[in-house]
Amino acid sequence: MKKLNSTVCKVLVCAALVATGGLCLGLPPAFSSQEDITHVRSEALKPHTRPAALFRHDEHNEKAGIDDCATCHHGKDKDGKRDMADMTAGTDCVECHAVSPVKGQTALRRAFHLQCMGCHQERKQGPLHCTGCHTNG
Amino acid sequence: MQTFYTIAVGPLAWFAWAVFLVGSAWRIFSMASLAKNKEMAAVAYFDTAYGMRSIARWMTPFATLGWQKNPVLTFATFAFHISFILLALFAQGHAILWEYAFGMRVWALPPQVASALTIIATLSCAYFLVRRLSNSTVRFVSTPGDWLALGLATLPFITALLVRQSVGDPLLMTLLHVLSGEAVLVAIPFTRLSHALFVPFTRAYMGSEFGAVRHCPDW
Ligand code: HEC
Ligand code: HEC
Ligand code: HEC
Ligand code: HEC
Repeated sequence: MKKLNSTVCKVLVCAALVATGGLCLGLPPAFSSQEDITHVRSEALKPHTRPAALFRHDEHNEKAGIDDCATCHHGKDKDGKRDMADMTAGTDCVECHAVSPVKGQTALRRAFHLQCMGCHQERKQGPLHCTGCHTNG
Repeated sequence: MQTFYTIAVGPLAWFAWAVFLVGSAWRIFSMASLAKNKEMAAVAYFDTAYGMRSIARWMTPFATLGWQKNPVLTFATFAFHISFILLALFAQGHAILWEYAFGMRVWALPPQVASALTIIATLSCAYFLVRRLSNSTVRFVSTPGDWLALGLATLPFITALLVRQSVGDPLLMTLLHVLSGEAVLVAIPFTRLSHALFVPFTRAYMGSEFGAVRHCPDW
């Protein structure tokens, strides 16, 4: 029984690893569509020091009443400014927000925090304290 | 509570910093003019070299007879102050908030190190408390202001531990942590915590007195 359990565990762990690996690498959408997202974990921000940020992508946006994907997945216009009309879902934030940013660009970690905490602050809903998002659970 | 937290990390933080900076400047300025008026002798004998020597010696653990007399107290004193300064400047939560609010990139302690320092600081405070209660000489000279200062200085560490260990409601504990930190900032100029402002001057004065007047080190 014990042995069986540990085998099951191993299989589950492997599956979980493969699944998160897929999410992180941005493998084909079949494997990494946004509805499966439960956490945001940016590989670019390694080494990680906190648990991944809790974010059940579709459920979150439904509850928060966000219909426009570009609220978060915005684009870049010709002048290098943020373009809210250009929907870029599927492009990782790190593509336009480097970890060590060039001038005029918002650094990746700050971009995440500004987007997530900024809206929560504005709407007075959703967590603002660190462990509200970076939680083991 | 969400709204309250937003106020605590926003306007209230500005307020606490303003009181701390203006209050500290005012306290140092008024103390300096008081010294000029009343204690001209001390000001006249002020000696930078001996003053710095004294500061350096007393900043070194066990370098002076005073520090050698009670090793446990010395250890706790250094452990507490080093942890306090490192955590206030470099705790990750603080760094992230600087980055979030101003885009400032502040180096941060690894969270495990920060947790260890928090525990060390809390234990040091516990020792200070036990010492004040159990040592009759110390208890006798303790004023309500001393108890207040000790309590205020301990709160940020206890609340940080509670957040870290997920004890109690996390938002409430984070809020209490922020408020207690702001209370310390506001209290520094106006309570016994003002030793943080004055210790360089009192130490340098002692150094000058012993070095330039009595021609001996200050033990
Ligand atoms: C509240 C902000 C937010 C909104 C609104 C939002 N997303 Fe996302 N989405 C994210 C974040 C954050 C990620 C993770 C990006 C990263 O890691 O770089 C993401 C990832 C994705 C991914 C990539 C999945 C992967 O594994 O690479 C897709 C596809 C996606 N979102 C589609 C959408 C679509 C379609 C909508 C609109 C229906 C939408 N998103 C609305 C925040 C949002
Ligand atoms: C196609 C490029 C592109 C992508 C992808 C992108 N951004 Fe941006 N974003 C920009 C540009 C350009 C700006 C304006 C310049 C700047 O602040 O970096 C901007 C600005 C922002 C700002 C405002 C910064 C401020 O100072 O107010 C936030 C927050 C932000 N992005 C978060 C995100 C997040 C989170 C993601 C991923 C879900 C993301 N961005 C994906 C291009 C992009
Ligand atoms: C445009 C506004 C907006 C943005 C952007 C946003 N949120 Fe939220 N979030 C909300 C609102 C509104 C709620 C409260 C919804 C509810 O539970 O009723 C919420 C709730 C949450 C919750 C608590 C819900 C739960 O499942 O426990 C978490 C965690 C969260 N958000 C994480 C994030 C993260 C991580 C990001 C950035 C990737 C983010 N949010 C970006 C508006 C936003
Ligand atoms: C509203 C949600 C939210 C809140 C609140 C929040 N974060 Fe984050 N944080 C994120 C997201 C999203 C990312 C990027 C994804 C990831 O974790 O890899 C991130 C990334 C990070 C990272 C880089 C990744 C790592 O693990 O080292 C650190 C450090 C961090 N946050 C610290 C903090 C601290 C400290 C606080 C409290 C002051 C905080 N965060 C509050 C959402 C949040």
